[in-house]
Amino acid sequence: MLLLLPLAIPVLGAGLILLFHNPRAATRLALLLGGVEIAVLGTVVWQVHTHGELQQGRYLRADGLSAFFLMGIAIVSGLVLVYASGYLRHTGEGRFSSPRWFYALVFLFLFTMISVCLSANLGFLWIMMEGTTLASALLVGFYNTEGAVEAGWKYLIVCTVGIAFALFGTIVLYLAAVKAGMNPASALDWVSLMNAAPRIALDPHLVKLAFVFVIVGYGTKIGFVPMHSWLPDAHAEAPTPISALLSAVLLNCAMYALMRYDAIVSRSVGPAFPHVLLLIFGVMSMVVAGLLILVQRNLKRLMAYSSIEHMGIIAIGLGLGGPLGLFGALLHTFNHSVAKSLLFFSAGNIRHNTGTLRMDEIQGISRTLPQTTAALIVGGLAIVGLPPFSLFISEFAILSEAFAQARYLVVILFLAMLSVVFGGFAFHFFRMLCGEPDRRPENSKLIPSEYIAMGMAALCVLFFGVRIPHVFGRLLQEAIAVLQ
Amino acid sequence: MGLVGIATEKILSSFSVFLFLTILLLAVARRISSSVLLFGLQSAIIAAEVLATAFQEKLPEIYIVGALVFVIKVVAIPRAFFLLTKRLKTVRDVKASTTPTQSVFIVAAIIYLSYAAVHSYGGAVHVPDDPLAAAISLILTGAFLMVSRKKALMQMLGLLVLENGIFLAALITTFGMPLVIEIGIFFDILMGLLLMGIFTFRISDTFEHLDVSKLRRLRG
Repeated sequence: MLLLLPLAIPVLGAGLILLFHNPRAATRLALLLGGVEIAVLGTVVWQVHTHGELQQGRYLRADGLSAFFLMGIAIVSGLVLVYASGYLRHTGEGRFSSPRWFYALVFLFLFTMISVCLSANLGFLWIMMEGTTLASALLVGFYNTEGAVEAGWKYLIVCTVGIAFALFGTIVLYLAAVKAGMNPASALDWVSLMNAAPRIALDPHLVKLAFVFVIVGYGTKIGFVPMHSWLPDAHAEAPTPISALLSAVLLNCAMYALMRYDAIVSRSVGPAFPHVLLLIFGVMSMVVAGLLILVQRNLKRLMAYSSIEHMGIIAIGLGLGGPLGLFGALLHTFNHSVAKSLLFFSAGNIRHNTGTLRMDEIQGISRTLPQTTAALIVGGLAIVGLPPFSLFISEFAILSEAFAQARYLVVILFLAMLSVVFGGFAFHFFRMLCGEPDRRPENSKLIPSEYIAMGMAALCVLFFGVRIPHVFGRLLQEAIAVLQ
Repeated sequence: MGLVGIATEKILSSFSVFLFLTILLLAVARRISSSVLLFGLQSAIIAAEVLATAFQEKLPEIYIVGALVFVIKVVAIPRAFFLLTKRLKTVRDVKASTTPTQSVFIVAAIIYLSYAAVHSYGGAVHVPDDPLAAAISLILTGAFLMVSRKKALMQMLGLLVLENGIFLAALITTFGMPLVIEIGIFFDILMGLLLMGIFTFRISDTFEHLDVSKLRRLRG
């Protein structure tokens, strides 16, 4: 029962919110439902932590890895809901673009992402992964401007095609499992596949073929170069809370799916093949996104390319494997999502107050928007991986694993790109912070909802950089244990 | 052997050829409406193939899948497309960026390529070459239609052809996935098409055309 609850609340909640035409009432209801949902997710995580894995029927299951990602979803979606409650105050009524539609779609989006993390069956996981695209496409096109419609269409088409390849990969893996003598009814269950993994390798070509399709398919959703074309557009054109959700939760969910496949394939045909692919995609994403960060003009596109770069870092951690590599990769998914939310929230405030996201038109915000600037600086320092912020720890772990395995090419590219990204962020941010502001914004102070969301995120990146709480560390270890 | 048995054998032995025909015709189709009809025909062939498989392998679950294919892909989706073209009042041309001759050559090359690909993997899978090659060429043709046709509606159609190919590949190699999963996938397709329909309306409202190759404001 406990696993059905976190799925039922967002679906029923989405329907309920649609009944409220008054924006204020819809917002309050959304916050209330969000709170309940987070409490339920917290209970699930705690149950998994204390009693081990939970199973509900044949399609739902939660183990250490699910719990770790669910915790991330709960934290980030809480921040996003709080931030959105203030952000939407300027949004008017339109078809599919009023606050009640916004919250209803956000809850559907959350439902699909939570289902991804709770699915025990790879087919069900695929269905829900495609569901994430469907639930969020209208949110990407929320503003109905030319840019938003174009971004929404591109997002829908590119991701649906990409995900279709993942379906093909899933079918090939299913075929390999059935050919190896597994019962067709359970040949998509992740646990059964893990147990039977050595047997599936009867036909290593098929398993490898499956992984190639899956990494291309789910890699489209993760935003690996060269399948990343939808990502900057969608992030830049969506409303800011949605950009944060896409970058901080959706990409992680896709990465989670890839981790599940990687575990099966590594156990089946040995880690060499999948890990080399992950390293190639990871390094490629890091290099291309890192270089493109230098030439960006739009603040949110800059953040989007930085997300691609960080997904590359996580893929490198996974591809290196080993205790430190996995530790770094998983920790980085969490750290990146909090830091990136903070940055997107700041970008949203800047847009509200200056009316633009073009970085060459934004000047002197350190004087006009001191609090937002503080958040932007904290987020910026965290995202480029400087100590004492949390991303430093995870990047350092991945880097030490690369050194330990003597993968010097990876090390050199990794360090080079980190410096390039640092230079890029410093260049862009200095131009925005300094200079003479051309006009004063009406209200430079943060409103309470923004205070809470941004303050919590900032505290989180700082706190996790200084020490990792005991419970969090245990959850992380349990997640790593699932993958090994 | 009864009449049904004979029909089953004929369908199973010849449907790949008909599928190759539909994709070659899709390559030369100039109107959206004829492309939609061809897609309906292609889905009907696949539905027949599904039912034949169900009869031959005596798997009652697959009858349901066959019925779903028929209702959704042969009846519902083509009707929805005709409704959309009518409501959008768009020009009927598919706006291809390749000439029909080039398209035919490309699709022929795709078919050849599929056979080549199947040869290297066919031994491992233990299924006849033709159906698997048909499935793979459907996937590739779908992708080709998506990149070479500029109308938003044709991109949706290309996606559907691609999906037909994946469905067929699953069917001939493993007799399809478990029923619940298949139903979930069908539901996703329907929802996806609904959303794409909403977006085509938005594109035609905001841009006053449906030529997605002109959507290129966002770059870099």
